Amino acid sequence: MNTALQSSATTPKAPALPGFEKVRRFWSPHAARWAAKILPGEFFVTAHDEVITTILGSCISACIRDPARGIGGMNHFMLPEDQTVGRNAWLEGAGSLATRYGSFAMESLVNELMKLGAERSRLEVKLFGGGRILATMSDVGAKNIEFVHRYLRLEGFRIAAEDLGADCPRHVEYFPRSGVVMLKRLKALSVRDIADQETRYRRRLLAPAPPEDVELFA
Amino acid sequence: MKILIIDDSTAMRMIVRKTLRLAGFEGHEFVEAEDGAKGLAAITAAAPDLVLSDWNMPNMTGIELLEKLNQTGVKVPFGFVTTEVTPDMRQRAAAAGAHFVVAKPFTPESFRDALGAFIR
Repeated sequence: MNTALQSSATTPKAPALPGFEKVRRFWSPHAARWAAKILPGEFFVTAHDEVITTILGSCISACIRDPARGIGGMNHFMLPEDQTVGRNAWLEGAGSLATRYGSFAMESLVNELMKLGAERSRLEVKLFGGGRILATMSDVGAKNIEFVHRYLRLEGFRIAAEDLGADCPRHVEYFPRSGVVMLKRLKALSVRDIADQETRYRRRLLAPAPPEDVELFA
Repeated sequence: MKILIIDDSTAMRMIVRKTLRLAGFEGHEFVEAEDGAKGLAAITAAAPDLVLSDWNMPNMTGIELLEKLNQTGVKVPFGFVTTEVTPDMRQRAAAAGAHFVVAKPFTPESFRDALGAFIR
């Protein structure tokens, strides 16, 4: 992918865009690039030749870029459990917590790309995750997949590639400049840690909204 | 009442409409526009009683639309429903005469808090 001559010493780390300073970034020797590692609930956008990496269980990552501009990003989200609507009630449940949250996660990424000059009509989307990683959990992954497919259809985005579902976690590396994805399906050995991390994320999603989500002006 | 929803996301316009109903605001007429420029045209053509607008949109952003309305002297209750809310954005929204800013992912309760004074 790149020459072995490149290193963290010869390739300065480009500053993160405003709002993304807290995402952990490290030098990836095999990618010969700086890598941003995103956790559940986070997303990262870059205009530089970097790699964005994450580990997915039942969560979904959408990798989205504007090929003409060489800018792109990745999110990592799952839908919160929603008691207010039944299964497959996406349209009827358009006001549901799950749909609101999932759409927010997708829109946050798309908006940041557009702020960097991406054209909505050019956006190329790749989808990963949605695995069924624990037999004891309800199939959260399938619900996440169903959501993201419906959302993208409604928004008119084209899906260039996807690797979704199945009984495994995934390690994803995304190179927004080229659109290349390096994907590794992981062994069950790593499932417990990933499931624990996703369960903690899911609990956070159910916490009450912060009071500052509404501001009234006099 | 006639409520204009301006958002470049089809999904989000649908979600805003549905959340208004969940918040108890029933029986209203909805008009939609997919960016600020089309929103401006819809305000002229449809004369809505309330405008709910996204902030980041192609062609004309939500705040540019509100500032344009101010320049042309069009008065309509106007609030933002937006993904990103920074202190600068709040300040600019208030200065332009916005009545409220609701951050996504909003809840029916946040809609009730923000819109209760405007929707009959």
